[in-house]
Amino acid sequence: MDMFDRRGMLRCMGWAGTGALFTLGGGIPGSITLDAALGATPKPGFSFLQISDTHLGFNKPANPDPLGTLKEVIAKAKALPVRPDFIIHTGDVTHLATPEQFDLAQQMLGEFGVPIHVVPGEHDIVDGNDPRPFLDRFGRAARGEGWYSFDAGGAHFVALVNSIHLGDRGMGTLGEAQLAWLGQDLAGRSASTPIIVFAHFPLWDLYSDWGWGTADGAQALSLLKRFGSVTVLNGHIHQVQQKIEGDLTFHTARSTAYPQPAPGEGAGPGPLVLPSVQLRSAIGLRSVTLRQGAGPIAITDTPLA
Amino acid sequence: MPNLIPFARAATAACLAAVLAFVVMASAHAAPAPSLPHGNAAVGQKLYQSCMGCHSLDENDVGPRHRGVVGRPAASVPGYAYSTALRKSGLVWTPDVLDRWLTNPQKLVPGAKMYFSVANPNNRADIIAYLSQQR
Repeated sequence: MDMFDRRGMLRCMGWAGTGALFTLGGGIPGSITLDAALGATPKPGFSFLQISDTHLGFNKPANPDPLGTLKEVIAKAKALPVRPDFIIHTGDVTHLATPEQFDLAQQMLGEFGVPIHVVPGEHDIVDGNDPRPFLDRFGRAARGEGWYSFDAGGAHFVALVNSIHLGDRGMGTLGEAQLAWLGQDLAGRSASTPIIVFAHFPLWDLYSDWGWGTADGAQALSLLKRFGSVTVLNGHIHQVQQKIEGDLTFHTARSTAYPQPAPGEGAGPGPLVLPSVQLRSAIGLRSVTLRQGAGPIAITDTPLA
Repeated sequence: MPNLIPFARAATAACLAAVLAFVVMASAHAAPAPSLPHGNAAVGQKLYQSCMGCHSLDENDVGPRHRGVVGRPAASVPGYAYSTALRKSGLVWTPDVLDRWLTNPQKLVPGAKMYFSVANPNNRADIIAYLSQQR
């Protein structure tokens, strides 16, 4: 599959439904599409998948069957020549945070057959203010309102929660307690440690008019600045966007359910209805591979079709 | 003790009439309120797609169902869990109020659940025109 250039990526931003494979080599992440990964020669290394915005329970014209497209993503992930070490889900697991939707989500995410690390999106917060039902299901190792960190593949992974307390125009917010924890979590770590941060809302100001950013994200990024390789993964906007800022790289992921419009196109963010034959080109998953030694993290975004 | 209710009713009616007359007179001298752009419902139907991450016409979703919203009191759809702020707002969803809501819901009702806004006034008018037809 052809790699997207920036224009192509922007054109496809409204699409949803695929995934991406991430690789880490020498702590530098890269990505490729899942289809490319499926055809690639397996290389030894540590890898994980990112999926996002599964929106189980959504049933509108943009994708009346998000469960079906999630099953297609699961099938694609299971067909990879190298089994990923785990999966990261960057939120909006469900559409309405009902017990039934959480039940279905637990069942479906278990189908991947590998560990899964999840952060909530705003759709996972009951009545917009109660993260406990989500955390009861997916946040067992979490602290505070759901944030946590762990080490894997030679990298340090940080899961941030910015979807509970919304800020101006609906932007995400981390809050003082989480920022204080992040400072403590990073303190004492070598600047050469590859850092991979994941959250639901973009940590950078992607398009604040639509709330596509994190009100206090700059404070988190300042804590991360001293590290030589920082990769920030998020969902929420249902399209691939990338940005490089010094040693920080930002990647937003497609949804597995439905696409959203490019920033500023249309009245506001919301499900984008595409001709049915195009839907699977706009949704998908992402894979990441980390290789020890020199070389970049390989990041692959893959649409379902 | 005399029954004061008939008197109170008459007095209330007289007061209301006086207040109404005052308001009408005052309005005649006040600067005219800025009129909303005339919306195009057909365009609004397409723009309404943006609202459908959280709303639909006939089902409660992240937000309440929209059919009949124009003219209805805020926080009045059965079966939807409204924020305390919106329940206490006392608002009625007139086109003007909906325009202010869509401009910045958190400014109109701090603490409401909705953050989604529509910056373009013509887009807002189109969406409101579309919703006005959904009876």
